[in-house]
Amino acid sequence: MNAPKFAVITALLLISSLASAVDDSAAKAVIEKLHESLLTAMNGGAQLGLKGREAMLAPVIENSFDFESICRIVTGRYWKSATDDQKARFTTAFKKLSVATYASNFSSFSGEKFQIEGSEADHEALIVRTTLRPSEGEPVTLNYLLRQSNDSWRIMNVVAQGVSDLSLKRADYTAVIKKEGFDSLINRLEKKSADMSKGS
Amino acid sequence: MTEFSASSRLLAATLVLLALAGCASTDATKNNGDPYENVNRKVYSFNDTLDKNFVEPVAKKYAQYTPNPIRNSITNFFDNTGYLSTIANDLLQGKIQQSAQDSGRFLVNSTIGIGGLFDPATSMGLKQNNEDLGQTFGKWGAKEGAYLMLPLMGPSSFRDVGSPVMDMFLNPLTYFASVVTIPAGIVSAVNTRANLLDATRIRDQAALDPYTFVREAWRQQREYDIYDGNPPGDGYENYIEDQGDGAVLRVY
Repeated sequence: MNAPKFAVITALLLISSLASAVDDSAAKAVIEKLHESLLTAMNGGAQLGLKGREAMLAPVIENSFDFESICRIVTGRYWKSATDDQKARFTTAFKKLSVATYASNFSSFSGEKFQIEGSEADHEALIVRTTLRPSEGEPVTLNYLLRQSNDSWRIMNVVAQGVSDLSLKRADYTAVIKKEGFDSLINRLEKKSADMSKGS
Repeated sequence: MTEFSASSRLLAATLVLLALAGCASTDATKNNGDPYENVNRKVYSFNDTLDKNFVEPVAKKYAQYTPNPIRNSITNFFDNTGYLSTIANDLLQGKIQQSAQDSGRFLVNSTIGIGGLFDPATSMGLKQNNEDLGQTFGKWGAKEGAYLMLPLMGPSSFRDVGSPVMDMFLNPLTYFASVVTIPAGIVSAVNTRANLLDATRIRDQAALDPYTFVREAWRQQREYDIYDGNPPGDGYENYIEDQGDGAVLRVY
């Protein structure tokens, strides 16, 4: 390798590492905000109640996740053939269920800590590695995959201890569509949220 | 002695299954790697009926009435008696240093940890590793083969079906009289089920088709275990979906 080529490559590497350093903090901020609001939900726990936690978490979740892409991916090849009305109803039901799931799972605090361990770029996406540390016992790894959409970083996938939320949902949802159809999937998501909202 | 011959028969049956796995593994890419889905689903619903009506309620009561320190000790105890299999699989995978650490862990917990009831090894820096025969085969390059739903035992595959057999043979408890092994087996099963209550709660909460949900979660978990938390394809795999624009994620 000759010297000018080397210089160009070094410069490019430098620029790309600088660029990712900047992006990195914006993406981490999205995760930090989500974790902070989850801790607020846990601390507020019973006092907020399920409805209170849902109301508090809904705007944060709405602004943290790239629901447009997520909804397309979890319905796999069936998304394309769904009607606009089905897509809209599915998206609404899916968001509602996501909020309800977070609100019902993050309902009490017993000394858990979220910690950002680092990040790495992967193609145009960014993986933010975090751990959820309970006050005793083994930490749980939670890795987020974010992608830039309309100038802001949005979460595409959450991977807990190696289990990808997106591919799990995709397998589950497409199995239902295949057997029962797209409308049935929407109905079942709506029923899930309704069942969850009966809790406290 | 009769017990041992029963075990031998089980081993023989497993070896036959493993040999079949070699033949069957090429077909496994069809049908989502689940060519026996029809049978598997029947076994799943049998297991689930048994679990919902009997095992889960018992595990819930057990979890409710057993203080955490006692539960931890019971878990530690069975983890420790099962640890020889981990050490053997460390060696089979060529993880020499890890096998030394795991042997140290077994010795420390068996002695200072009073027969494994306590886990002083972890605080000495000898953390618990998770290895089994299926992971060893995975490390050696074996694919999953076909997915299997085993009666009472749950998700497995041709690659993994030998794990519980090896675990049994290398577990010292196996060689005690049945007055010891049977109650120990029951306590171990209930305790294991109780430790899975959170996982099954998430399944019940999230899954629309629990069979598919469990299969996918199990597969990803196994991949994660085989590669000790760093599966290849770590990150982001961008491939073109049927619709052309889908960036689909296979992420760990």
